[in-house]
This record gives sequence, C-alpha cells and structure tokens, in this order.
Amino acid sequence: MIIRSQADLESIRKRGLTKIQPNHPRIGIGVSSCGIAVGGMALYHRMQEIIQNNSHDILVVKSGCIGYCKEEPLVSVYIPGKSQILLHKVSIDDAERIISLACKGDIPQDLALCRIPDWDHITGNLVYGDGFESVPDYGEIPFFSHQKKVILRDCGLINPEDIDEYIGIGGYFAAFKALTSIPPDTIIEEVKKSGLRGRGGAGFPAGLKWEITKKAPGSEKFIVCNADEGDPGAYMNRNEMESDPHMLLEGMLIGAYGMDVHEGLIYIRAEYPLAIKRLTLALDQARAYGLLGKNILNSGFDFDIQIATGAGAFVCGESTALVASIEGKTGRPRLRPPRLTEKGVFGRPTDLNNVETWCNVPVIIGKGAAWYSAIGTKGNTGTKVFSLVGKVDNVGMVEVPLGTSLQTIIYDIGNGGALGKGVKAVQTGGPSGGCIPQRLFDTPVDFENLNKVGTMMGSGGLVVMDEDTNMVDIARYFINFASSESCGKCVPCREGLKHMLLILNRIIAGKGTQNDIKLLQELSDTVQKTSLCGLGQTAPNPVLTTLKYFIEEYDQLITPEGR
Amino acid sequence: MAVPGNNNRMVTITINKNQYLAEEGEIFLLTAIRHNIDIPHLCYEKALEPYGACRLCMVDVVTCGKTEMTPACTIRVHNGLEILTDTPQIIKHRNLLFELYLAEAPKSEVIKEMAAKYGVTKTRFLKKIVHDDPLQGKCILCGLCVRVCEEIMGNSAISFINRGPYTVINTPFYEHNPDCAGCAACARVCPTRAIVCEDIGESRVMHSWSETTVALVTCPECGKSFAPQRLMEKVLTKLEPGLIEKIKNLCPECRRKYFTRKEIHKIPLTDREP
Ligand SMILES: Cc1cc2nc3c(=O)[nH]c(=O)nc-3n(C[C@H](O)[C@H](O)[C@H](O)COP(=O)(O)O)c2cc1C
Ligand code: SF4
Ligand code: FES
Repeated sequence: MIIRSQADLESIRKRGLTKIQPNHPRIGIGVSSCGIAVGGMALYHRMQEIIQNNSHDILVVKSGCIGYCKEEPLVSVYIPGKSQILLHKVSIDDAERIISLACKGDIPQDLALCRIPDWDHITGNLVYGDGFESVPDYGEIPFFSHQKKVILRDCGLINPEDIDEYIGIGGYFAAFKALTSIPPDTIIEEVKKSGLRGRGGAGFPAGLKWEITKKAPGSEKFIVCNADEGDPGAYMNRNEMESDPHMLLEGMLIGAYGMDVHEGLIYIRAEYPLAIKRLTLALDQARAYGLLGKNILNSGFDFDIQIATGAGAFVCGESTALVASIEGKTGRPRLRPPRLTEKGVFGRPTDLNNVETWCNVPVIIGKGAAWYSAIGTKGNTGTKVFSLVGKVDNVGMVEVPLGTSLQTIIYDIGNGGALGKGVKAVQTGGPSGGCIPQRLFDTPVDFENLNKVGTMMGSGGLVVMDEDTNMVDIARYFINFASSESCGKCVPCREGLKHMLLILNRIIAGKGTQNDIKLLQELSDTVQKTSLCGLGQTAPNPVLTTLKYFIEEYDQLITPEGR
Repeated sequence: MAVPGNNNRMVTITINKNQYLAEEGEIFLLTAIRHNIDIPHLCYEKALEPYGACRLCMVDVVTCGKTEMTPACTIRVHNGLEILTDTPQIIKHRNLLFELYLAEAPKSEVIKEMAAKYGVTKTRFLKKIVHDDPLQGKCILCGLCVRVCEEIMGNSAISFINRGPYTVINTPFYEHNPDCAGCAACARVCPTRAIVCEDIGESRVMHSWSETTVALVTCPECGKSFAPQRLMEKVLTKLEPGLIEKIKNLCPECRRKYFTRKEIHKIPLTDREP
C-alpha cells in the first residue's frame, strides 16, 4: 500500500496501535545487541515456540532496548487495559511461567522491575492502564527518573522491525506535515530556531549546515548519516538504529525535503550487522509505503536512502575520510577546505550529520522549535544520549537534557561505582576526550563546559573509572587506540602518538624519568596543534587531562633515580 | 588552480611585518620561496594538488589580530593576507617535528641537513631500526611518489600499505607490479632520495618496488638501452606528426648526433677544419 493521504496514514496508525495494544496479551523481548548478548534471542525463540505449540492467544514480538542494559534481558508484558510491566534479568527458564501467567492476566511479580501506566512517545501519547500497583512505577526507578527521553522516545517499547508500530505511535506524521504543508525553507528555519547542534562531537549548528548545503551551487547533492561510531565505549548510535530505525529515516526524509536533496546515504560500520539488518528492513518497509522513492506522500518530492558499509576504522568517522571511504578509496582525511558542503561525496555538495542529530528532527518538526529549545540550556538545547559504561553500577543508555551535571548522571542515574567502589574519574568523548576528576563532577555536560575542563562531548561515551583504575594506564590505553587507528598521513599523529605510547610504556614499566613527563607534555602540545585532522588534534587529550588532574599517579611511577 | 604568470591580479600581502607583491590565488608557499623567505617543506610539489601532510611548512595566519597555524602549502594568496613564519610557537613545533623525522628516517642525509639548518641535530626519540628496508630508512611518507604515480603518470603502481605508524609504501602485496611503467618519476620526486632503481642491461629494476623489472628499448643506432618500453610507446603516440621517421626510435644522444651531422653537412667543405 502506498500512503497518499492523511487518511491512509491514519489507517496505518490504527493498525499499528492494535499491534502495540492488542486485545490479548503482548510480550516484547529486548533483542538489541545488549539483550541478545545475554540470551534475549534464545528467550524470544523459546517464547515463540511455546505460544505456537499451545496456540496461545498471545503476541510475542521483538523490541529494542529501553536503556537499562545492566538489567537485560528486559521483557515487557502488556495485559489489555493494565499497566505495561517491565521484567528484568529474565532467563530462558522463565519463559513458560511468564506466558502462562500472561494468559491469566498476571505477571511474575519477582521479575518485575517497574510498571508503565502511560508513555509519552512525544509524537503521541499511549495510555496502557492501571493495575499491578505493588510493582514500582517507572518514575520511581532512579535509573529512569532523572532521564528525559526525547531521542530514545520509542526505544524498547515498539517493535523495531515493524513500521506499523512506529506509525502507530505517531511516527511519519511530522514528515507528512512537512512534505504536504511546510515550505522547505521553513523546515530549515525551524531547525535553526530549535538550536539543534550536531551530535557527532563538534556541535556545529545543524540548521546552519543544512542552509549552507542548500545554498551550495549544483543540483545533485547528498545527505549522509554518520553511523561510524568508532569510539571505544560508545554505542548510542547502534542502539538508536537497532531499537528505532524509522526515527532516523524520518529525520533524513524531512532534512532532504528541507534541503531539496534527493539522495541519502547511511555510512555504517560493518561491525553493526544487526543495525544494518534492521535499517535495511526499515528501508524496504518505508519504500513499500511510499515513504521513500518517487512522489513521496503524493507531494511530488523524490528521495531514497542507500546504505554504505565501512570496514570499521575510527578515522572513517572523520568527514573527509568518510567520504573517501564511500567513494571506495582508502579512508584517509584530506585538507579542508573545501568542506563537504561544498565538495563532498563524488565531488557533490554533501550534508553530513550524526545519527542522533537526524533522530531529533521529527520531534522538532512535530512539536515545534519552541518546544524543543525549552529542553536543555541556552545554546545547548535538547537532550543527549550517553552510553554510561565502565566501573559504574548502572550500565546503560542514558538520555538527559544538555546541561545536566556529571554528578546526576554518574550518581543519581548510574548509582556510583560498581560493587560499591568509589568513583575516581570519568572519561568523556572517547579517545578524543579527557578524564574529568570526581571533584569536577558538578560540571554541566554541554559542548562548552566540557571543553573548559579539557575534554569534549564526542559522540557521547561516558567511561567511569573507580578507585582501582590507574590513570596512566588509561592514558596509555587511549593513546594506543589513537595510534593504531591513525591513518598515517601526517607526521605528528603517525610518529608523535607512537612515541607518546613508547614513553607511556616506559613510565608504566617503572623506567620513566621526569624528563619523560616533560617530553610527553611537549609532544602532546605539538601533536594537538599540528595534526591534519581531528583524530590527531584531539588524541593527546587523555594524556593532557591525566597530566593535569592526576599528575601524582605519574610521579608515583617515576623511579627515585629518575626524579 | 591559479598559475603564476598567467595575468593574475597582483595584491599586497604582509610576511613577517614586511609588505610584498604577490599574485592572487597563488599557493603562499611558492610566493614565499620566490621572495627568499625560508619555509621548510617536504610534501609540496607544484604539479600536484596540495596535500598538507609533512606539517613542516606551518605558518601563522593573522586575521583580526588572531593567529591560526596553517600549512603554507595550503594557503591561497589574497589581498591583505598576513603571515608570520618564525614565531616562537612555530619554531618550537617545527623543531619537534624535525626530531620526529630524525627518528623516523635515521638514514636520510637530506633530513639531517635540513634539520641541522634549523638547529636540530639530535632527536630525543627512539630511532627506527632500519633492517631490510626497501627505502633504506629514508622514507618520510610524504606521499609524493604515490601521488605522482597516480596523478601525473596515471599508473597507481605503488600505494600506502597498512596505516598509522605501520604505514609503508610499496606495490600491492609486495609483488612485482606490471602496472609500473618504470618511468622513475617517483625516484625523481622523492625529497629524501629514498627510492632505489637501476638500469641493468636491457631492463630497469625498481629495487624499492619489490624489484619490479621493466624492459628498456634499445637504440637501433648505438645499441644502448635508454628508456622503459611502455613509457616509450606512450610517448610515441603523443609525437607531433611530421617528425622524421628515421629518428623516432633513436636514443637522445643519437638524435643529437643525427642533427649535428645534418648541420655539419650543410656547411661548405672548405670551411671545415682540417
Ligand atoms: C577521528 C574522528 C572520528 C569521528 N567519528 C565520528 C563518528 O563516529 N560519528 C559521528 O557522527 N561523527 C564523528 N566524527 C565527527 C564528524 O567528522 C562530523 O563532525 C559529524 O559527523 C558531523 O555531524 P553532526 O554535525 O551531526 O555532529 C568524527 C571526527 C573525527 C575527527
Ligand atoms: S591526524 Fe592522524 S588520522 Fe588525521 S590525517 Fe593525520 S595521521 Fe591521519
Ligand atoms: S609542504 Fe606543506 S605540509 Fe608538507
């Protein structure tokens, strides 16, 4: 069926809603990579088997990840008219019990994490109902209560492999509104007014980049989604694509319409096979509904998206290396200017945005720039998803308004160090970022404030370190990563990082001297200031910040003769 | 690309507080060289696109009182351009880069001389151990050979292998490469003279490129082997029509002799020396 009118879209929405809230029990199994890693898929198949063998009137579907990765496999149980229940740490042995209880309109209380009476999908509101009052409310769980879900609005609650469910909670309505009633320039204006900044790390205003791309001469242009996500410890983009692929496609569709571009590409690392699979399926489903292709939604606008896979090199996330990789060349950065907006994929003007940047677009258009910019702080509007990992108790995906303090994220949401240990520092921004000591945890997380303390937002990895972590070792880990991911084009990064690694090895082996520390400092400065691309320019940050905040740990490793 | 001497507009620029006339659109590094302002550089070649990898030509661009370090080989001259080439910052970073080069290419005399010229004679970094290196411990990975082979000769016979500190240049799979025309443009463009090739009998052996061997053509007159066969074939397709058939296949020396002889025969016998 091709969607041509609002009525068509409405009819699919109704169908989608009856899939999310059928008149018989519905069980959703968290089968994102995190869920699958702890047996989610086996659980899914077991449940399917049980309901088929017994011809139970129960729907068992796949769902994404609601973010509480520590508690996976998470299972949602919906009994018609009652609150949706989230079960946690479900094992395959629980399958039978969950189903037989669901048939009786009940749930296994011992596995219940929380109940969801209603949910704001932002694109629409879903009321599930009351009941199961003995189970804590979603809002009473500290991991959830401090979060604000805008990007992760649907993650874990809908089936990512069924477009009907996305439309069911109001998906593609923003695209419909845009394509049928908003002039393209107004779309760009709205995104500019929202204050949306790129979520790929640098925080460049998205609307402005769109405007520049639109104004660039030439009729054949590209929009590209950067789904390379190569920072160690970061997996926000993967989860967004695995759990809710259509929000990305809808965002790109709206952006393409605003910029009057007809070809889209998603550059994604080959190490994300599940995300690729779900995106491919989502693209097929969107095409089948006429949401991609020719004359989309009967508006006369044509647009389609292709997937380009990379071989998983960190440097291929850098814009010019990414373009080289798409063109089939070696992923090595080139000099800028020209910027991609002038000369991008195959020489054509190209707009490149991060996955999460695109995912914000449907709600900005759906709810308006004023609604969006009320979230976060001035100059840093909206929310940001972080992957909270490392030595923290509550490992998972966390979404908070920009400007939220590290304190809130690590203690209120993350519940402090794992196994009750004290937290020493947090690394933001992956290999490009730095380590922030615990005493600076009142730092608000936004683009500028992170820069001030010597680190950066990056794409959103937060790696927590506890009292047992040696900070020199952390610095070595990241320099080793950056050095082996360096493309080798320019000398400061290729040779400089190699020697930084050698010096760090020497210090850790107890053979370092004060001169080594001085040399490390000098090298960091030169690598930072003279490297060609962002990789080299930011790679010394882990060393610079550990030298700044944890110099005593370096000193302790220096031999008495070396002092 | 704006080529100097092609009637570009002349503009005024400031280098180290002095004013100079320069051609609009020209690569600033070339302007500086023309005015005898010394900027070290290793990866720039006029015939190729700016590459910006050696980072030695870093200069400060001054805009509204603020300075930004930029490679001189990537700056295009425009009116009012203001550049500082020798600030303490530049010197500091440049010297450290020289130290990195001394460690990376410990056998390169060119690098040693160049570094010494800027006062850097020692490196604090561990020198690369040179063992069985087809490029003799002299390669600094400026990429000129790879680029000239691809951009100018259209052969792409050599390329970068691996990445990061493990990057090297060679033929695919370190095998004899039939795509190599044996033109040796790579050896000619190499700033550190790292590439080894040699003419042995009727062949040219590119020692550095996995011993790739190409046939040379032999001069029908003197019997000397003088040019790679594939290159010769390519050149012959581009000759102007009307060129004397007889001399087409001669080596440069025999060609010269041919013309000299012709000239001599024009002169009356009486004027010849005994
Ligand atoms: C070494 C390096 C790696 C990068 N990796 C990523 C990445 O994985 N994902 C991403 O979105 N941006 C990455 N970036 C930033 C991109 O170059 C680019 O700024 C971004 O995709 C633009 O999108 P945005 O404006 O929506 O943030 C990387 C940059 C550098 C220098
Ligand atoms: S900074 Fe590193 S990754 Fe970037 S161009 Fe230079 S060598 Fe390549
Ligand atoms: S000559 Fe400018 S960077 Fe090498």
